[in-house]
Order: sequence, then C-alpha cells, then structure tokens
Amino acid sequence: MGSEGVTGGGREPPVALELEGVSKLYAETTAVDDLSLSVREGEFFTLVGPSGCGKTTTLRLIAGFESPTAGTVRFRGVDVSGTPPEARDVGVVFQNYALFPHMSVGENVGYGLNFADPPGGVSRERRVAELLELVDLAGFEERDPEKLSGGQRQRVAIARALAPGPDVLLLDEPMSALDAQLREHLRVQVRAIQRELGITTVYITHDQEEALAISDRVAVMRAGAPEQVGTPTEIYREPATAFVATFVGDNNVFDGEVHAVGETVASVAVGGETLEVATAGHEVTAGDRLTFCVRPENLRVDATTNALETAVSSAEFLGETSRVHLAWGGRDLVIRTPEPREGRVVVGFAPEDAHVIDVGR
Amino acid sequence: MPTGRDASHERELLAEASTRSVESGEMSRPVGSQREGVKGNAGDATANGRARRVRDGLERRLLGLSAVGTALILLVLFYYPVWTVFRESVVVDGTATLSVFLDLLRDPFYFGDLARVFAGESPLAVGREFLFGERRLGIVGFTAYQAALSTLLSVALGLPAAYVLARYEFYGRRTLRSLTILPFVLPSIMVAVGFAATFGRTGTLNGALGVVGLGPVDLMFTLEVVLLAHAFYNAPLVARVTVAAWESVDASAVETARSLGASPFRAFRDVIAPQLYPAVLMGAALTFIFTFGTFPIVLALGGFQLATVEVFVYQLVRDLNYAEAAALAIVELVITLGVLYAYLRYEARHAVRSSGARPLPRKRLVPTTRSVRDLLPRAGIAGYAVIAVFVFVAPIVSMVYASVAGPNGPTLAHYEFLVERQATGAAFQVQPWPAIRNSILFAVGALAISLPMGVAISVLTTRRYRGRKLVDVVAMAPLAVSGIIVGIGLLRGPVFGFEIGSYRLAVGGALAIVAAHAVSCYPFVVRTVAPGLERTDQSLLESARALGASRTRALLDVELPLIWPGVVAGAAFAFAISMGEFSSTIVLATGTDQYTMPIAIERFIGRRLGPATAMGVVLLVVTSVSFVVIDRLGGESYGI
Repeated sequence: MGSEGVTGGGREPPVALELEGVSKLYAETTAVDDLSLSVREGEFFTLVGPSGCGKTTTLRLIAGFESPTAGTVRFRGVDVSGTPPEARDVGVVFQNYALFPHMSVGENVGYGLNFADPPGGVSRERRVAELLELVDLAGFEERDPEKLSGGQRQRVAIARALAPGPDVLLLDEPMSALDAQLREHLRVQVRAIQRELGITTVYITHDQEEALAISDRVAVMRAGAPEQVGTPTEIYREPATAFVATFVGDNNVFDGEVHAVGETVASVAVGGETLEVATAGHEVTAGDRLTFCVRPENLRVDATTNALETAVSSAEFLGETSRVHLAWGGRDLVIRTPEPREGRVVVGFAPEDAHVIDVGR
Repeated sequence: MPTGRDASHERELLAEASTRSVESGEMSRPVGSQREGVKGNAGDATANGRARRVRDGLERRLLGLSAVGTALILLVLFYYPVWTVFRESVVVDGTATLSVFLDLLRDPFYFGDLARVFAGESPLAVGREFLFGERRLGIVGFTAYQAALSTLLSVALGLPAAYVLARYEFYGRRTLRSLTILPFVLPSIMVAVGFAATFGRTGTLNGALGVVGLGPVDLMFTLEVVLLAHAFYNAPLVARVTVAAWESVDASAVETARSLGASPFRAFRDVIAPQLYPAVLMGAALTFIFTFGTFPIVLALGGFQLATVEVFVYQLVRDLNYAEAAALAIVELVITLGVLYAYLRYEARHAVRSSGARPLPRKRLVPTTRSVRDLLPRAGIAGYAVIAVFVFVAPIVSMVYASVAGPNGPTLAHYEFLVERQATGAAFQVQPWPAIRNSILFAVGALAISLPMGVAISVLTTRRYRGRKLVDVVAMAPLAVSGIIVGIGLLRGPVFGFEIGSYRLAVGGALAIVAAHAVSCYPFVVRTVAPGLERTDQSLLESARALGASRTRALLDVELPLIWPGVVAGAAFAFAISMGEFSSTIVLATGTDQYTMPIAIERFIGRRLGPATAMGVVLLVVTSVSFVVIDRLGGESYGI
C-alpha cells in the first residue's frame, strides 16, 4: 500500500515539520516524553497508538494549543515553540467537527479568510466555493451546519481548515464519530484531497488499520514516545518491538533461548519445542534470548516445519476468513482460516515467515 | 446564586495567549506548498501584513488589558476601601492590636453567654447555665438563630414547590419555574414594604382575618414577619436548585431500581433522594449565608429590637465607631465564609453529576382517577398552594393594593402625594423624580462597568492555569463582604480622596455609588456568563485560533455569540440588582439629590406607608420593565 506516493524517486523532499526532544508534563503525568519526529513536505504522516499514548497531545503541541515543557517544534526549520496557534499556518480538524453552530456552512469555511487573504488572489466567495467543491459539497454555502449529517459536517470542517491555505493539515481522529462504512469512504476522499493539494498532513488515529491504509509513514506511539516510525509495510512486516507487533494487526509473539545457530537460521527453544527461525540481518549466538513474531496468515494448518500441536479455544467467523484462537502449551495463538475450526489443529510456519524483533544477551 | 460555582469538568486550556509576543517568529501566512489549482501564492500580503500585525498586537493584548483594568477597578473600588475600614479594627492609635476584637468577643452584648467562654469561664459551666438557666444569645447569636430558623422555613416552603415543579405537568409550569428567579432580583426594601402592607396592623392579613371574625394580629416588628420575608427570598432559591437536581435524575436509574425489586418509596429513597441532598444543602447553605447578612428587611420589618449583626454594623457606622463596626463586620465575614467553606468541602465530596439523559416523566396535576393514591398528594399540594399564595404573592399584590387603597375606597392620593412632594417639597425632603432618575442612571452606569468586568473575569476564571482558584476567590470576594463596609470604605477612601503628590484625586459621591453598585453587580454577570464559557466546546475555540483568530477575536466571534443569552441575562441581573441596591447606597448617598428609589422608600416607610407603597410600585414597574427590555434586546430567552 501507498508508500511510493511521496516523490516518485529522486531526492527526498525537505522537512516540513520537526519535533526535537519534545516533552509535555502535566501536574502528575508525562503526556509526551522526549519525542523526536520529522515530517516531510507533502507527506501523509500518521500517529497511531492506544488511548493515553500522547498522540493527541503531540498534535496539540504541533498546532500550538499546548506549549512543550521541553524541546522545540519547527516548521520549515523555524522554531515556532512560542508562536500562538493563530500565527502557525496550520489547519486543524477535530473528531467532533467543531463547526461554529451560529454560522452557516459558507461562513464557517470562510472564517479563516478574515485573517488571511485567499490564496491564489481569488475572492473570498470564490475560495469558499472552490473548497466546498473540493469536498463534494458544492452549493452548500447557505446551509445550517447543525442540519448536516456527520460525514457532511466533517467535510465542511476539512474545507474550513484548508480554506486559508495552511502549510500543515492536522487531523485529530476525524473519522471516529462516523460509522464504519462512511469512515472508509471518507478515508479514501481525505487521501485523494491530500494528494491533490500535496499538503503536509499529520493524522491522529487509534485505528491501526486506518493508519496502514491511509499513510505514507506511520509512527506507532506508546507512553508518550514513538516505538517505531516507518512505512505501513515496514510497520506491518518488520515491527521493531513486541508492542508494535501486537498493536498493529493480530500477531503471535514467541520468545526463547537460542540453542544452535546456522548460516541463516537459528534453533530456538520455545515451550519444549525447538523452532527454526530465519535470523537474516541479526547477529545471533547460542544462549541469546530471541523474541520473534509470526503473523496469523503465516501460521499454516498442517504445515510440517515448526509444527505445533494446538487445541482450538474459540473461533470467530468474519466472512472472508475466520479468526481462530488456539491454545498451545499455555500460550494463546491466533490463526486465520477460511472456515471456523474445532478440536485439535497442527499449525506450522516457514522459518523465513518469522520476524525477529529482539535479540537479548 | 452568587456562590458555589460549578467546578465543572476540566479542560486542557491554553494559558498563554495574552503573554505571548507577536514578534516571536511570525510566519508568512498564505504562501502555500500546494502544487496546483486551488491555491497559489499571494505576494501582496506583505503590505497588509504590517497593518494586520499592529491590529493583531492590540487585539492580542485586549484581554490582558481588560484583565488589568478589572483588577485595577477591584483594587481601587473594593479592596483598598475595604482594607481602610478593616485596618481600623486592628490599628488603634498607630499600633497594631487585637484588643478591639478581644473586647468584642468578650462582650455579652454581641456574643451572649459565649462571650463568657471567650472571657475565660469554664465552657461546661456556661453550657449548663445556657441549657437550664437564663440564656443570652447576644447580637451574633441572635443573628445565627434567626438565620437558622429562616433556613428551616425556606427549606420547608421550598421543597414542596420543588416537588410540584419537578414531578407535575400543568399549564404555566415553565413560567412558574422561571418566576422562581424573580424574588432574587426584587429590591429587598420593596419586599419589606410589601410585607408591611400584608402583615401590618391594617394589612391584608388582618383584613382577611377580620372577614372571618378573628381579631387583628400585629406581626410588624416581630421575628415571624422577618422569617417570612426571608422565606420569600430564599424558598424559591431552594426550590430552584432542587428542581434542577431533580430534573437531572436519570429515569433509567429509577427504572433499574424498580426492576431490581425496589418499591416506589425505596427507589425514591435510594436513587432520587441521594441526588437531591447536595442541592437541598446548597440551597440551605446559601440561605443561611444570605440571611446571616440580612439588612434592609430587618431594618424595615424588625427594627432595632431585632437587630442583626449587619444592622448593628450600620448603627456603629452611623455612630462613627468605625473600629468596632469593622471588627464586627470581620466577625460576620469569618462566620459567613466558614459556612461557605464547609459547604464547598461537602460539595466537593458529594457532588453527584447525573447525566440526566432521560429525565423522569411528569405526572398530570389534574388527577386522572379518584383513588386515594392520586388524590392525597394533590390535596397536599392544594394546601401548600394557599400558604404559598400568602407568602409569595400577597406581599406584592398587597403593596400594589395598598398604594391605591384609601379609607373610603380606591384613591390615587398616595401617588398625588408623590407628585406634590416633587412640586413643592423642600430641599431636605425626599423627592420622587430625582430618586427615579438616579436609580436608572446609576443602574446604567453600573451595567456599563460590570458587564465588561464580568465577562473579563469569566474568561479568566474558566481558563486553566496555576493560581486560577486564587483569581476566582479574589474576584468573588465582593459577594461576601458587607455592603455597608464597602460603602463606608468608598466614602472614606475614593470619595474623600487620595493624595497624589499635592493633588487630591476624589471620586464624586454619585460616581462612588455607581462604583459600589458595579462591584455588587458584576458577580452576577460572572454567574451567568462563566458557566456558558465553561460549557463551550473547547475545540470551537481552538478551531478559530488555528484558522488565524487571536484569543480576543475567538471570544468575540465564537464564544460570546454562542453564550449571548447568558450575557443578556447577566446584564438584566446587573441592572435589577443595581436598581434595588440598598446597603452601600444608604451609606454613600449623602444628600437627597443622590437618593435612589430604595432609599426613598426607606425614608417613607417609617412615617407614611401609603407613599412608600406607591414608591414601591414605581420601583417594581421600573425594575420589571428594564428586566424585560434588556431581555428582549437580547432577542432570546435566558436559560438560568
């Protein structure tokens, strides 16, 4: 999925937005802890993580609604840590739309043009019409925002944020209040608009699937700092930590002691079995403690390598596939099968389908 | 209600705007990174940029400036004057001493038998004598005693009203519910006139009793009439807060209890009642605080034999005994704040915030069946209604009636007296027209000052930052301090004048009255504006900021339009409170040309009840009309 969309090769675009060693402390909690990130010009960058991981605070620090306790926030290399939000050239879209209820749709979209001339030297009315057209709401100027559907409101909010021509678009869980179908539809639309305008975008979500689907790059946040930053494929296929491995999609994480080391494969003792794990790119010696993961789709039924005898504990029928939970020597495993399963199942995986997360001495 | 501001849900607020400098890294605004179509660049922005920057700078500082202005006004018109009075009680002949206080505490005149304990006698012995022998309450004790009785009476009269308003549906229920705010803004001196017209020797009550052949009773200058007048003010307050709590009870919680096996009574006791207690206690605490500091009602209806602390403070001020007056006022303040603090502690621990997603359904007031279960409560309500009419309606009606009643049928003699007094009265006599004119002028002035002050304080106290609690307390203190002390402080401070070098800066008497009114009005603006600001979705404000609006612009464009009904209500309150203000005006109004309507009524009430009622009607009309006009100007109904 779309990791190629930024430049199409050649040199990397310049950094649009940078956080360096940023911390935000509240009275009792540390919301953001020594966080460093950089987002490139035109990039769609997503912060994903469980609630309380500091992703919203990070967005608020970028927007200027909060000032960092330590560290600096830079826009195109200029320190904006002390700049109030109105002077930052950001567009913000909130989960609850935050449309001004006492203004019409047109007045909402045009509000930011009170403080900046419409980009491109067009008239205010023209700019508002353009933006409404962009979000498929042409002719909605006189409507009352209170009378729109959730999806329409959110598109008005996006148009409003874009109207003054911000350098950076910040979206704080913009889809969470919408139902699943609408969410996927709007997701595609947001991505299309972002590409059309080429605007640097920071997107916040707790939904890892959404993060993978929409982003150029993803930062998985935990306890106020990113655990891993990478393209969606990197995040999914090569998780850097056990947390990332299990947070993004289903996963089976194993750890055990290395018995023997081959050229590309190590033998690892896990729960009384010896499993063969590909270790390309890692220096492994006997006696190391190895943590690795195998995605459910790579745990194949009736495979002969690394075969594990398991018992089905439960199964969920999801339509296209079924998610089957297995018990193996006191551990829980999860696999994907076409049909729900019962009873005893033997599963196994190819050594190269295992991804090594960590090697401990 | 002036106290007990909801410490509602916490929000992450930006606490920087006004202190930030514009110069720090302003970025060129409309130059975009976009590649095509929708936007290009706007090169002509630089020329506008500078002008805009200057304007932005002013705007950004506007909130800060108004905060500083408000602080200055409070300092000059409240804290400094009050301090000059309080200082009298601790500085005698240039040396700091607590002797004034100690004398006060040991004086049985003020503290009754408690004074003997303060003087060193054994508390046990004093307690035994107090219980079984002669008891002496003293002024302070009596004030607390009447406040406690007033509180009981107000709760007793307020709860049935709350029950009816919360649980029954009938024609005019909403109007009646809104009317419970009315007593709060009625000038107390006018209410006193109404009570004199109802319960006096020739009042309505005796008229009614005479018809059924019962002898005349004279309730004037008795504790009973004072308590009734206090209930007139505070029972609606108790009812109001209780109804609000009752309406926020979620019906599904009650239904859950019933489905788990609770009888209707158990469901009430276990689910509804616990959510009502905090509200009832809040009403009771506020009633105690208000009635502890009562002044015009006791002055007009009780006389000096029923003197409360505040009346005595006034008496001492008139005797120019400022030291003792200030010490007594401080004692009063300490007791009031003590009760308030105890209540707030309780509230913090027991606040039940029900979501009230689905309020309890109301029953029809007209019985649908003739069963005992349907008829009995409604018979009780009918009985209560008779009492309520006498306590809440009769005083106003009687006042209007008395103003046109003569010995030989209806007459306009009392109004003619006012007109005649206007035409021929001597300079030292109270003339009606200047009183009306002054009342309106002072109220307009007080409104002009207190509205911006109240909005500024609301903004300051609804943002989150270190020291917010302190700002809250400093801004709300004027509600707790005796109006007489504020008045005398203003009289001796700004009115007498400040020495600045060789120049004497003095504030005219009328200006001082406006100032005193503004100080007593703005807390009501805060009360109506701040909750709205607190409830306003923070992301609306943040959206406006992100779109380029300064903090001030966001306030003007987004927040104030959304809470406009609250602002209008605050203005209406401020106007009405100023119209009826008595305590500080009576101290500050030095000549007849500075009299307001309440002062004129007080001057009339002792000698001529007729003209007093006529004047009271004029005050009632002017207050009601301005209340309605301000409300209409706002274009929307207020939702207090």
